[in-house]
Amino acid sequence: MTLLEAKDLGVAYGEIEALRGVSFTIEEGAVVALLGSNGAGKSTTLRAVSGLVAPRAGSILFDGKSIAGLSPRAIVKLGIAHVPEGRRVFPGLTVRENIMLGASNGSASSAVIGREADAMFDFFPSIKPFANALGWTLSGGQQQMVAVARGLMAKPRLLLLDEPSLGLAPVVTQAVFQIINDIHKRGTTVLLVEQNAHMALKVANWGYVLETGRLALSGDPATLWSDERIRDAYLGGEQAKAAL
Amino acid sequence: MSRSAIGQVFYALLAAVLVALAATVKTDGYIANILMQAATYAIAVFGLSIVLGLCGQINLAQAAFFALGAYSVALGTVDYHIPFWLCLLGGMAIALAAGAGLGLMTLRLGGHYLAMVTISFQQILTVVLTNAIGFTHGPDGVSSIPRPAGFASGQSFLALVVAIMAISGYLVWRLADTRLGRAMRAVRDNELAASANGIDVYRTKLIAFALAALLAGLGGGLFASGFSYVSPDQFAFADSIVLLTMALLGGAASPIGSAIGTGLLILIPEWLRFLKSVPGLYLAVYGAAVILIVLFMPDGIWGYISKLFRARKPAPSKAAEPLTLRPLDSGAPMALEVKGLCKHFGGLKAVDGVDLQVRRGGAHALIGPNGSGKTTMVNVVTGLYRATAGEIFVDGVDVTTLPAHKRTVAGLARTFQNIRLFRSMTALENVVVGAERDGNALIERGRAALWGRARAALDFVGLENRANEAIPSFSYGHQRLIEIARALAANPTVLLLDEPAAGLNLSEKKELHDLLGRIAAQGLTILLIDHDMTLISGAARHVTVLNFGRRIADGETADVLRQPDVAAAYLGVSE
Amino acid sequence: MDLFLQLLFTGVGIGAVYALVALGFVLIFRATSVVNFAQGDFSMVAAYLMVVFAVDLGWPYWVAFLISIAGMAVLGAVFNLTVYYPLRHRTFLPVLISTIGASIFLANSVLALYGPQPQVLPGWLDTPGFQVGPVYLDSQYLIIICVTLALVAFQYWLFERTLIGKKLQATSQDKEMATLLGIPVAGMIMLTFVYSAVLGGIAGILVAPILFVSIQMGSTIALKAFAATIIGGFGDVAGAILGGFAIGIIETFGAAYISVPFKDAFAFLVVILFLIVRPQGIFGERVAEKA
Repeated sequence: MTLLEAKDLGVAYGEIEALRGVSFTIEEGAVVALLGSNGAGKSTTLRAVSGLVAPRAGSILFDGKSIAGLSPRAIVKLGIAHVPEGRRVFPGLTVRENIMLGASNGSASSAVIGREADAMFDFFPSIKPFANALGWTLSGGQQQMVAVARGLMAKPRLLLLDEPSLGLAPVVTQAVFQIINDIHKRGTTVLLVEQNAHMALKVANWGYVLETGRLALSGDPATLWSDERIRDAYLGGEQAKAAL
Repeated sequence: MSRSAIGQVFYALLAAVLVALAATVKTDGYIANILMQAATYAIAVFGLSIVLGLCGQINLAQAAFFALGAYSVALGTVDYHIPFWLCLLGGMAIALAAGAGLGLMTLRLGGHYLAMVTISFQQILTVVLTNAIGFTHGPDGVSSIPRPAGFASGQSFLALVVAIMAISGYLVWRLADTRLGRAMRAVRDNELAASANGIDVYRTKLIAFALAALLAGLGGGLFASGFSYVSPDQFAFADSIVLLTMALLGGAASPIGSAIGTGLLILIPEWLRFLKSVPGLYLAVYGAAVILIVLFMPDGIWGYISKLFRARKPAPSKAAEPLTLRPLDSGAPMALEVKGLCKHFGGLKAVDGVDLQVRRGGAHALIGPNGSGKTTMVNVVTGLYRATAGEIFVDGVDVTTLPAHKRTVAGLARTFQNIRLFRSMTALENVVVGAERDGNALIERGRAALWGRARAALDFVGLENRANEAIPSFSYGHQRLIEIARALAANPTVLLLDEPAAGLNLSEKKELHDLLGRIAAQGLTILLIDHDMTLISGAARHVTVLNFGRRIADGETADVLRQPDVAAAYLGVSE
Repeated sequence: MDLFLQLLFTGVGIGAVYALVALGFVLIFRATSVVNFAQGDFSMVAAYLMVVFAVDLGWPYWVAFLISIAGMAVLGAVFNLTVYYPLRHRTFLPVLISTIGASIFLANSVLALYGPQPQVLPGWLDTPGFQVGPVYLDSQYLIIICVTLALVAFQYWLFERTLIGKKLQATSQDKEMATLLGIPVAGMIMLTFVYSAVLGGIAGILVAPILFVSIQMGSTIALKAFAATIIGGFGDVAGAILGGFAIGIIETFGAAYISVPFKDAFAFLVVILFLIVRPQGIFGERVAEKA
């Protein structure tokens, strides 16, 4: 069933139009990749879904209910967790504290949350030794793991991941995408924004490609990957050149 | 006659009238005292309008500088029998030195630190004035301070003070339109952009600070003779706050605002004298007023009024000559050369040993996926960051260790990804700031040449007919063009454009593409950083590709974009 | 040696007051990036409230104390809503000036309501002090030191051992991220202002029996507290506390060995010195921001 549906989404920052007429659906249990070059509007799409920015036009339905214009706090309570670009681990708090704060959308006691955090470490064994290390001391890849773990603590139905591979070495990126795969297997729906189209399409069930604020392509990973036009969306193409 | 000349004549007439009134209209002692206080305070507030209004730097010690001037005159004339004028100049010099000294120590820190230092200085001075009794007479103060010969009567001295106030007001007013004044306004609006356009930010702030202190010293010296008595409790921290409030109420950015603010805040308590019957009540209202002003009238009364007038500025006359670009050419093979550039942030190697050769003339592009180090590289080349290792040459000149504003002198100009224009200035003023950078040979011939060149640059980007409009009235795409015009007006050797297409719609991108072509046709070298590959392949003949802080490809655009590892860098195809 | 110990005791005592005010000041700064010039006036208002309830109305000390602290909590909330919240998106200069205005307003409102005469507030205990060996321990100073240590311990417990303390810290470090996790950021900021006002209030009530209760006591304490944060490292919690003690000690020793009238100047001289030599303070940047 459709978990998230965006129709004709329009978002602007002041007078700069970041998204225009963007429509997409996400089926429950799927991993959907949202691709495109820098500036295409991928992060803006996630920010509209999580409530950081209110859409100027169009609608967003989560489980049939409209969420456009709700506050981020209300949206995370409904079951959408956003792991933003750049990881944004709290630098002055420990890894365990960071993860525990991921459950701030509920009202469980500190003890219960502590136990859930410890259980989370089993899912992310590579960061378990760093449980009491301060956030700023971790490497990029480790911070990414912490950020994802923190997002999962909200027990989301839909997890929004914004460029998890950004700035990470290829071998670390592999580990991150392995985690995404595991999350998928556990039944969480994932909307994955990535510049790295190759890795994203390897783990996704469906893909959308944005180009300067509009939806350019959509399809299943294999079809998308072999389509010439995906290269054009990133590297420019003959048709676009002709327009100039 | 131009509007500005009309304004100045009007000012001169008004000043003459005020002085004449002060000299002839007989008033009782109480009113005379109020006018004296208003006039001397106004001079100090003019000082604040320079440092806070024009330059945007906080100064909470203006009463301390005022005290330095006052006590110089008081002690100098009474204890040491030095003539008044000498004491006055001496007091101004001491205040200037104190301001410069404080500024030298702390202007690099800025913000809260500056506030803290000025408060500390104020407190220390108050303690010294109160306790160094042998020298300062302590809490008793200094009385019977004489006036200079010829101005012994209260009336004539008041006229003198009003005259001096008018002159200093005039100088402060004209300052805003000078090169120094524009530099101060640029620093206030956007320090980074000011630096990138050749302004020595630190020196500018220091001058503003020193001038503010100088004017306060002048006001204080006149105050001492005006009232014939000074004591430490007249120059406390609370008085610095009063001066600050006067500046804010009227409108910090102009002497007219300062005069209005001073007048109101001295006269209002007099009109509302009933408030004084309950001690503290009118100061409490004062404090509430400060909050309300900041909330609802951040530009002050005059700022609010002058914004209304701004909207009706006339269109300027057409530019006389087209824009000429004569970039330096020392004969060095590359317009911009970077060797082995490294920039490390702790353990993170954002730029890791990158070479870049930008041939003279035409456009060269620098591309790479998000996080590849392009922006860091631009910031190191333009001087915002210090290189960890490597060398940078502009037209053969080593600029590696030069601060940002000196690189502009060497021929580098840039625009910013998130547009950095001076928002309180008009389009034309923004471009003038670019044009008047040190060492711009094309404006040697004086003011007309300077403004003419600025007009020509605006005309080049197609916005000359809107030269006198303020920045907020322009669309995003047009603001981008003004920023480019500002860079061109400086007659650069190499123009760095940092994501110029960001935020532009399709037609604006086409305009940009055409503009780049026209710039290149004039022989200027452009280094273009962007993600829009269509723009890149249309505009740039050569391209360098970065990934993970390293250079992975370099050559003719069409070839490079076809290379598999470039596609891999963006799309993630494994080799 | 006897004099040294006596001075040390006094210095630590007065330093504790500065430490409390500095702590409140730093907490607000970390949460909102606001330099609160009215921080010292919280102390002054609380002292006057105590005078009204404990002296004028004659209520029991404990009762007056609790009511005064409750009043400070309300003041902190109102302060947040009127001075900070409407300006929260503006640059630092308007907010700074606004807090200066608030400081003037508070000080002069009290003046208008109560009058210019300095007031006397009795100490907590009836016994004036204890002689321990060569050192005379004034009982009020003892109380100040004990209460401050208790509050510092509470501060540590709150921030390091409770979930809400973590949420407060998270709000200081990255507001947007905190919002995304569901942390009520506006509520956290409100809590910070209320807590800081209470801390300042307690400091004022503690120190009032030693100084006179006067309108100016607020700004004097505030400026010393600012000096403390600069020395300790701007924005650093432990630094503010230690800086407060440092200022108290410097000032006391300076008054005794160098000159009494100039003692107020010492704190500021130290500030200027630090700003020239080591602007990041003793503790500098405790948490490095990743590039």
